[in-house]
Order: sequence, then structure tokens, then C-alpha cells
Amino acid sequence: MKALAVRSLRHRYPAAVATFIAALLGTAMMASFATLVESAFSAHEDDRELLIIMGGVVGGWSTVIVLFSIASTVGIVAEQRVREAGLLRTIGATPKQVRALIVYEAMVVTLFAAAAGVVVALAGGPALFDALQRGNLITSASSYDASLASPSMAAGVVVVVGTVAAWISSRRATRGAATFSLRQAEVPVRRLRWWRILLGALLIASGLASAIVTITVTGKATDAYAAMQTSGSASIVAGVGLAALAPWLLRVLATPLRPLLSGSGSGHLAVQNLTRRAGVLAGMLAPVIVFVSTAVGTLLMVGIDDRTLAAAGDPEGVGDTIAMINAVVIGMISLFSLIMVVNATVAVVVHRRPELDRLWRLGATARQLRTSVVLEAVVVAVLGIGLGLLGAMATAVPYSVVRHEGLVPNGQLWLPPFISAVAVIVTAGAAWGAQRRAAR
Amino acid sequence: MPSVVCMVVDDTPALAVEGLTKRHGSGAGAVDALVGVDLTFARGTFTAIMGPSGSGKSTFLACVAGLERPTSGRVLLEGTDVTGWDETRRTRMRRDRIGFVFQDFSLIPYLTAQENVALPAKLAGRRAEKQAVQLALARVGLASRAEHLPSALSGGQQQRVAIARALVAQPAVMLADEPTGALDSATAREVLRLLRSAVDELGQTTVMVTHDPLAASYADKVVFLVDGRVAGKMAAPSVDAVAAQLAHLDQLVGAGR
Repeated sequence: MKALAVRSLRHRYPAAVATFIAALLGTAMMASFATLVESAFSAHEDDRELLIIMGGVVGGWSTVIVLFSIASTVGIVAEQRVREAGLLRTIGATPKQVRALIVYEAMVVTLFAAAAGVVVALAGGPALFDALQRGNLITSASSYDASLASPSMAAGVVVVVGTVAAWISSRRATRGAATFSLRQAEVPVRRLRWWRILLGALLIASGLASAIVTITVTGKATDAYAAMQTSGSASIVAGVGLAALAPWLLRVLATPLRPLLSGSGSGHLAVQNLTRRAGVLAGMLAPVIVFVSTAVGTLLMVGIDDRTLAAAGDPEGVGDTIAMINAVVIGMISLFSLIMVVNATVAVVVHRRPELDRLWRLGATARQLRTSVVLEAVVVAVLGIGLGLLGAMATAVPYSVVRHEGLVPNGQLWLPPFISAVAVIVTAGAAWGAQRRAAR
Repeated sequence: MPSVVCMVVDDTPALAVEGLTKRHGSGAGAVDALVGVDLTFARGTFTAIMGPSGSGKSTFLACVAGLERPTSGRVLLEGTDVTGWDETRRTRMRRDRIGFVFQDFSLIPYLTAQENVALPAKLAGRRAEKQAVQLALARVGLASRAEHLPSALSGGQQQRVAIARALVAQPAVMLADEPTGALDSATAREVLRLLRSAVDELGQTTVMVTHDPLAASYADKVVFLVDGRVAGKMAAPSVDAVAAQLAHLDQLVGAGR
């Protein structure tokens, strides 16, 4: 099965590339932060705390997003193999062998990607350290001092998560009778697994809890940054939680759009695909939610902080430091989740090649197919924006309240529309580009 | 001879091909899939196209349906030359004037049976007449399955939905590409009876590519292709006669290679 796994990889370039990119960038990001923590041990006493916060706390939150996106990419890729799994099983592969094939594949790809990610981090880590030093966040007394150990650990986590995600998804590909999966009728009619609902609910609840704690407890603390510690992560956590429930949310939210869109041929196709194949298209929705909720939530928080810091009192005079850290982190996280949006969109659309070909043979014009695919992407983006903004509120609203700006922050209101526009353009653009390859 | 001329004048054939040639590739490696094929399909007839694999059957169907553009020759649909049409026009032709039945059923997985049947009309921007859709599904015995997704239907039922979809627009010609290839023999017979009844009761011109003598025996006429050329015709085909002829053709091909 190992040989078969490696060989089958060569024929599944786009899918393997999606996983590879996610794992590479993820490892590069996680490992760069990990080197900061490692450097902290030998750093000057004054710098130790900052390095640990930067590497551990901030790196920790990026880890959540990285791991989530790797898991979802691997999931999309494994899901696309239900049919092939059926074929392999009819010619005598046991479910165990088929699962082994899928898991080996994911492992091989993430292993190579993670190794490449470590190499990137060996340059990225010192660069990050250097940036902190030049920004006067770290004294010149400390120097970058990380071995291969911390990046390797980050790489190990990426490989394990990628492999476990493939293992979980592979169960789907081999569930049920082999002959069933051979049929072309490939709509997976299945409910969300209980653990996913639980995970989503827990994450959303913890995001809400952070919001409440921010208003009731930490917002009243004397330390001006206590509130930021509880509310900063709220939008990330809530966003990932909503993303975990994406298949269900997509089905529920896209259904009311049926009468609106089903007037034209392409709209009809788009809306039926959205509601009846929500499980597949949720792979596109999830990263959009995470992107919007993280970017909007944290950037608004930084803005509020900027405006109200003087009033809130900045006893330690670390305002600039924190603003700088936030900017770096949010920038990286946003970029990463944006890449995930592209990744997931391309994977989903390219996978539809046989179906688009079928529609073309039945008389759908190239233009209708194009419109249909792009329309789907736009609907997914718009729903993702709505949900993402909801998630962003978990950070922005409480922080705005504790900094006495009321429910709505006083400034930066251009931010939500701007991030939303980026989300729509990127999602629709990726779908448009991918369908050009998928259709003829 | 005069009577033939009369027929052509009075009754334009549903489908005709003249000197149809398709060459794949170019230079020394070029393969001739079809070489100067002339065929006429009168309205209301059921023709089976047979031949060994690589004989050009599928290419023939692809050229007729406008999926591929022939290298030379003409395709006439109800007397109109459609060969030179651009991609969009050929797509519209496929949607409006041709009913297609494929070996793999080609149902859209996220559309119900009735939505699949209504799809070509929907793509054409017309509102599919609910009654016509219901009628087409009833014709193939699936009126009660209208709301089912393909995944909830058996292979034979899926192919029957595909036939309903092909018939609903009353196309000039129905093209069937190995329609029973993925079905067991009992289900295959059911599907073939449906195709036959569409010809007998609706006067639906039908062209079916198949390698199965049983399937061919449901047609009025069999056309044999070998190496891209018409190698013979047989009227009122029986299973045995078709099988014997195919075996003979296989020998010819074997000897030729």
C-alpha cells in the first residue's frame, strides 16, 4: 500500500499540492514562533517574558488556526477519494488497506512539507527575532539562540495532525458497502459527527465566555491589558467553532436563497449544489469564517486599543510593543487563512471537473458553468462573512465596551467592509481561476 | 432510384452524416477514428451502431452530438448543417435538439430525479413544464420517485431517469452511448424496452452505440463499423445474427493487424 500511495500521489497533483502548501506554511509559521520560545531560555532576563508571550501565547493562537486549516485541507482531499476507495475495494482492497493508503499519502505529503517548513523557519525565526529587536521590543543583550529542536517539534505536530485528520476522514471513504461507493451518485448525505458538533459548540461557548469575562471581570482590572488577554482570542476561538459547524450552517443558511437564485439555469445549479452538497462546499466556507472573524475581531481590538490607551492608562509604557506584536501576528494569521481560502476553493472546484464535464455534455454552456461556480463561491463568501463578523463581535464588542466606546467602536468602521471585500474577491477569484482549469 | 430521390425530398432524415472523417493527432502518429462515413437516419427509426473496440463508434457519437468537431465531412440535423457551428451554438443544439443517454447515466448528483429531467430546459432558461416532466418520469415508471436524489435510486432507475431527461424535450434525435453497459441483463432489457417503446409510441429517432448483440436486437437496423469505416448493415437484427457478424468482423480485424 505504501508503494501505491506514493504512486497515486503523482496522479493527484492538485490535491497533494493543496495539502503540501498548507503544511509548509503552517510549519513555517509555527516553527518560527517556536524558535522564539527556545531563544527565551538563554535570553536576557528582561526579554524572557516577551519572548515567551510572543512565541507561546501568540504562536499558540496561530497554531490553532494552522492546525485547523491543515486538518480541513487534508479532510477535503480525503473526502474526494470516496469513489476511488470504492473502486479499490471492489478489486479486493480491504477497508483497512484503503485507509492505510489515504493515511500514508497524507503522512508523506505533510512530512515533506513540514521538513520544507522547518527550513523556512530557520530563516523566518531569526528574521522575526531581528524584527522584534529592531522594534526595540527586545534588548540587544539577547540574541537569537534556537537549535533544530523547536522547529522540529512544530513540524512533528503538523505531521501528526495531518495524519490524524486523514485517518478520521478515511473512515468516511471506507464506510458502507464497496459497491455503493462505486456508483456515480456521490452526494454524501450524512450528518455532522457528534464530536464535531460538540467541538464547535464548546469553542463558540468558550468564545462567548471570554467575551463575558472581558466585560465583567478583566475589563475592570487595573491592568489595562487584562481585558486584551481574555478578549483577543475570543474571535479566533468563536470563528473556529463556527467553522467546525460549517456544513450544517451552510445548508441551513443557503436554503432560504433557493427562490432568489433558482431563476436562471446557473443559479439553479449553484443553489442546489450549495444546499445538497453542503458537506463538500463547507470546506470553502470554513476558512472564510476564520479569516473574517480573526482579521476583523483582532484588528478592531488593536484600533480600539490605540485610541483609548492613553485614557486607560499605560503604566508600563508597552503600548507600542503590544501594538507591534498584534500587527505582526494578525498579519501572519490573516495571510495564512487567506491562503487557506484559496487552497480550499481550488480543491473543491477542481474536484468537480467530471461533474462540470457532464453538465457540458448535457448542454450547459461554458458561460453557464462559469457563472454557476463563481456564484456558488460568492454565496459561500457572503455567508462566511456574515458568520465571520458574528465571530468578530466576540472580541470587538466587549473590548469596545470596556474601553468605553460603547457597543460599536468609535473608529475603523471601514475595516469590516474592507475585509469582507477581500474575502469575496479572493474566494470568487480562486473559484474563477479553478473553474478555468476544471471546465473546458 | 427515383423513389429514393422522392424520399429525400419529402422526408428530411432526422440525422445524416456525409463523408464524416475524424483524425486524432497529426503527422506520423495520427489515428483515423472515422474515415468518410455516410449514413442516414430516417425519422422514427432505431439504429444500433456496432463494431469492435477502436472501430470509431464513440467518436461517431461525439461528432454527431457536437462534442467533437469532425476533421472533415458534414453532420446534418434535420437537414441543417451543424458542422461549422461554434461551441456555444453546438451546446445549445445538444440541449435543445438532442437527447443524450450515457453509459454512466450522467445524472447530476445533487439534483432530484425530476430536477435532472428538467435540467436541459432550465439551462435553456425556460421554465420546465411540470406536467411534461411528470409525464416523462411516468413513461419510464418512476413517477413515484420524482423527489429522490440519484443516490437513492438503483442503477436501472438512474438510467431510466436519464432516458426521461433525454425524451422530455422531444429531441430530433436521441443518442445512446452503451446505455446498458453498466447494467445487469434483466435491468438492461427493461431499459432497452423503454428505448424501443419511445421509438414505437413517440416516433423518437434513436441512435444507439453498443457492443451487446442483445441490445442491438432491439433496433430496426444495425450498422457495423470497422476501423472507422462502415463495414456492413443488417436489417431486423436477431441476437444470433448480430453475434455471428461481430465474430466475423473481429476475425477480419485480427487478420488485418
